[in-house]
Amino acid sequence: MTPAFRTLAVLATLALAPIGVPVSAHHSFAMFDPSKPMKFEATVQSLQWTAPHAVLWVDAPKVGGYDAGVWSLELPTSPANLAKMGWSRTSAKAGDKLVVEINPMRDGRRAGQFKRATFVGTGQVLSIGAIPGVQPPK
Amino acid sequence: MYTKPAIPEPAPARPRRWLTVLGCLLPLAAHAADAPVTNPAPTRADWAAIADLPDLSGVWAPGPLDKYTPGGPEAPQWLPNVAKQVEHLKQLDAEGHPQNIYVNCLPEGLPSSVTQNLNSVEFLVTPGRVTVLSEFDGNRLRRVWTDGRPHPADPDPSFSGHSIGHWEGKTLVVDTIGFLPEVFIPLSQGVGFPNNGDMHVEERITLTGPDTLRQDILVHAPKVLAAPWHASRSYVRHRERNYDLVESSCRQGDFLETTDANGNFVYVPLPKDAGGDRLPLDQATAPNPSGTHP
Repeated sequence: MTPAFRTLAVLATLALAPIGVPVSAHHSFAMFDPSKPMKFEATVQSLQWTAPHAVLWVDAPKVGGYDAGVWSLELPTSPANLAKMGWSRTSAKAGDKLVVEINPMRDGRRAGQFKRATFVGTGQVLSIGAIPGVQPPK
Repeated sequence: MYTKPAIPEPAPARPRRWLTVLGCLLPLAAHAADAPVTNPAPTRADWAAIADLPDLSGVWAPGPLDKYTPGGPEAPQWLPNVAKQVEHLKQLDAEGHPQNIYVNCLPEGLPSSVTQNLNSVEFLVTPGRVTVLSEFDGNRLRRVWTDGRPHPADPDPSFSGHSIGHWEGKTLVVDTIGFLPEVFIPLSQGVGFPNNGDMHVEERITLTGPDTLRQDILVHAPKVLAAPWHASRSYVRHRERNYDLVESSCRQGDFLETTDANGNFVYVPLPKDAGGDRLPLDQATAPNPSGTHP
């Protein structure tokens, strides 16, 4: 079995695994509200490629009741695991225009759980793939 | 005029070889009881013997918990007074107020490093020890002594405890004591309960196939558990280089990478919410009062 095929086989196996495992390492994502998902256009400031969770920093104009400003969008896992999903530290670069989809913080601060992002213009999508033990955000 | 008194020079001592030998031996005799115990240098035969042990090389990616699911019959059985507290913590987590069991970046220790870790693990088998490396929140290190030593009578408490192990066929059998009482028995990333002392963990790490491995743990925590808790984890071996363990610092993410007024690269501490989520610098203390969902 080639390494690539083996990886696919493992992922396929894990896709059938029971849910109920932790969503992320390091901290709970209970501070985010999956019942009130948001989608808005923003400009990338940086992709903070650090353990234990990477962060996508974006700048957005006024969104709904939120003032214009910088948002921290928490990714669910570490650079090491994101790399296994096909991400790299250059997956999003300063100035990139994205439509981001997030679960916002419950307390109204400009922060959220990253779910996916679509590059304006190209339509390329950044998403969270399944890796062992890590489930995509709901 | 002062004249220095003549002090006769002592006659040269005659060498007394027996005294010299005794003098050298005395310190050894006096300290024989607490002479440092050394780890012998491994021999060629010691290294060769490694080849006959189960091959744990490669990088092991953990799968979902096989045996324990939250709320399932294999969940930890807490003592009654603890169960009430755990239920309260679970309620808080459900309401968006998770417990901060890992966000301080202290080592997670056992059993978290088995049951909650989502990152890859390496087992380095060398003469006299197995070294476990992992990436849980940051690079982690654990040693399992396989040189036949016993546990210390009174080990200094630590997050991963003092581990001794031996091989039974394809299985590495590990026994660990000496945990800090603060080390959590976790239910999730957001809920855990300290072992409160006297925790003892038994483990069996075994190859179950050419590229699969299973780690069973039995947690004895008499201060908080009504019965030993059995959890297990399965792993899949990877040799692809994108699975290689990398440098990983749990604290690095606490800082914003930026430049100062002179253009020098600096780290600036990031504010966090109570659950450990990093926030924009202007969102540190004042929740956005107008923050309503569009």
